[in-house]
Amino acid sequence: MYERGSLSRRRLLHTLAGTGIVAAADLGWWDAPLIAPRRAWGAEPVRFQWSVPEPTRIALMNSLVERFNQSQKDFVVQIEYVPQAQARQKLISAISAGSPPDLCQVWDNWVGQFQGMGAVEDISALAKAWKHYGDVEATAWQTVTIDNKIVSLPLALTLDGIFYRTDRLKELGLKEPTPEWTWDEFLAIAKAFTKADRNQYGYGMRGGGTWAVLYPTEFAYANGATVLRDGKLAINSREAVDALAWYLDLALKHKVTPPSAATDGFVEIVETFGRGVTSMYQHNSGSVGQQKKNIGAEKFATLPVPIGPAKTRASFWFSETLTVLSRGRNKQGAWQFMSFMLDDEPSLMYCKTLGLLPARKSIISQPEFSKDPALVGFVQSFPIGIVSPYLAYPGWGGKIDSDGVPLMQQAILGKLSPKECLDRFAEVLKKEMT
Amino acid sequence: MTTVALAGHRPRPLVSWRVRKLVVGYSYLVPAALCMLATVVVPIGMAIKMSLYHDVLYKPQDYRFIGLGNYVRLVQDPVFWLTLWNSVVWVFGSVLLQFLAGFAAALLLQQAFRGRALVRTLTLLPWIIPGVVVGLIWEWLYQPNYGVINDLLLKAGWMHDRVAWLSSADLAMPAVIFTNIWRGIPFFAIMLLAGLQAIPGELYEAAHVDGAGVLGRFWHITLPLLRPIIVVATATRIIWTFNYADLIFVMTGGGPANATQITSTYTLMQAYSNLDFGYAGALSVVLLLVMLAFTAAYLRVTRGVEEVG
Repeated sequence: MYERGSLSRRRLLHTLAGTGIVAAADLGWWDAPLIAPRRAWGAEPVRFQWSVPEPTRIALMNSLVERFNQSQKDFVVQIEYVPQAQARQKLISAISAGSPPDLCQVWDNWVGQFQGMGAVEDISALAKAWKHYGDVEATAWQTVTIDNKIVSLPLALTLDGIFYRTDRLKELGLKEPTPEWTWDEFLAIAKAFTKADRNQYGYGMRGGGTWAVLYPTEFAYANGATVLRDGKLAINSREAVDALAWYLDLALKHKVTPPSAATDGFVEIVETFGRGVTSMYQHNSGSVGQQKKNIGAEKFATLPVPIGPAKTRASFWFSETLTVLSRGRNKQGAWQFMSFMLDDEPSLMYCKTLGLLPARKSIISQPEFSKDPALVGFVQSFPIGIVSPYLAYPGWGGKIDSDGVPLMQQAILGKLSPKECLDRFAEVLKKEMT
Repeated sequence: MTTVALAGHRPRPLVSWRVRKLVVGYSYLVPAALCMLATVVVPIGMAIKMSLYHDVLYKPQDYRFIGLGNYVRLVQDPVFWLTLWNSVVWVFGSVLLQFLAGFAAALLLQQAFRGRALVRTLTLLPWIIPGVVVGLIWEWLYQPNYGVINDLLLKAGWMHDRVAWLSSADLAMPAVIFTNIWRGIPFFAIMLLAGLQAIPGELYEAAHVDGAGVLGRFWHITLPLLRPIIVVATATRIIWTFNYADLIFVMTGGGPANATQITSTYTLMQAYSNLDFGYAGALSVVLLLVMLAFTAAYLRVTRGVEEVG
């Protein structure tokens, strides 16, 4: 009995093993195997670090990576999601430890620091030979060019504009502002929107995070100021001080901002607008999708930042980049994947789903972007878009957060005059101009 | 005639049993000592070394030995002194009130009442929740525009205008301390409750017979017998709170205008925002020295108190 039983099991195992070998041999001849594509023997996977892992982005990225992995057989892309707040730290630690990923998604304001660390790959030759090179906005290339070397591909772009509530305008019987609006019109609308007794404010000023410094700087450009003039620091010029004084008066004198302005960061300015506490705020197209869910697409629109007394204005241009790390193990694979991400369909899907602006001119001209009222303010901002002046020195990125933001918060709270704030910030930036 | 074979002279062992016992004893400690060396001593050594270098990650070409340069910079840095003062306020404000409220909670939980087991379990809740989650919850509670705290105070008529708790330079620190007190009460409550349960009931009965009142029993029995637990719990909590950056990092990020910036969050910012690991190393070393000095002084003082007791 036992003998027969054990023989039977053995036969069964032999049959199963034989079937497996036959199946594997057969699969090897298939062009499109059912299980997964064949990989080149010993091919290194491309390790890809991705931040901002919220559900929509995760689903989108999983789908794009899967699509890429199915499209070729040489290697796989392995995506690693990290929280946005820790993405930079994690990358710094990995670079310092000598085992960075092959590819990462970072914003261009940090690329300078990584380049300073000697951690990013010069992809100038590959980028210039790439089929879409001429289709990418020239300013987008500027955001990822350091010391005349292209170090990243600009996956998506952001430009700052003003979100405003169209339904509130109608309620108050106010005239719809035009793209050519001025500081005075901006202030008049902000005042009209403000009903402090009903917890309603005109403008959601940002006092927390890097953009607490960048937004007032954009207003300063509208007053004829610049961060650098002829290579010298001009951030505390008279024009800049006057512009900051006007900006701070929104909180201190006109009180058109919520009382929490000094610490309101990204989440707060987006949430207060979405909950009807504020009726205007400054941000890029990244929060368009969220506001469509919060208040509905028909209740808000966007405009470029208002024109200042100098009859000019500027919106800072940032790129969400794909950057190859110089100590990665499969740099060629990383380039293949990042160039795939900027192909027509992936680029359109990525930017359309997340409400971002594509870097390629042929894609941004499509109606999904150019005809959407929620995005039109950003598309109209292209002519006034300039590369953020704070990208000039790699050390400035960190100093904005560690020194610039606390100084700006003191100014918003009225504990520091606009001049003192900018003089002290200029001292900090000056030390990093090497 | 009988011959008696005398036992030969036993050779003296190369290593005495006393030494062998010691060696065996110490060899048991080797794994633990190696772990301590790798996880505590080596990192401290590396932090000290780092603090003596100009080590800014995005300027690798500038990496050089600068001796005490980072320490000189630290002495001249007004933000460092502000963070040190903020740390003192944060630590002592939090721990003192956590201790008092925790002690009161422990005394209440020691009493017999219906549902005591459930209340004891619920008391632990703030301690169980991760610090980051506590920070996020309280940040929303404090939110001036749609937070529950303002809403309740306005509805109760105790307030006429919305207060920006975390955006005011004067209110932000008390607000984060209050959150930390809420979180830390269970720690003291449970530690002290365990101590209270270990005090024999006969002592209270005898004191009662001798005519001691409630306060007398508390002062002469409860407090002296709980003293060892109080010393250990407060010392541990002070050290933890000094190094505890999560809550402040999540709730205010050190703001507004450095009003809640403590030395540990400032160190974190120097390391991961400015990538200035040399300066961050110097800050960590100073933090370590401050804590060592404090712990030594605290243990000395409390030992003295115990001896007097």
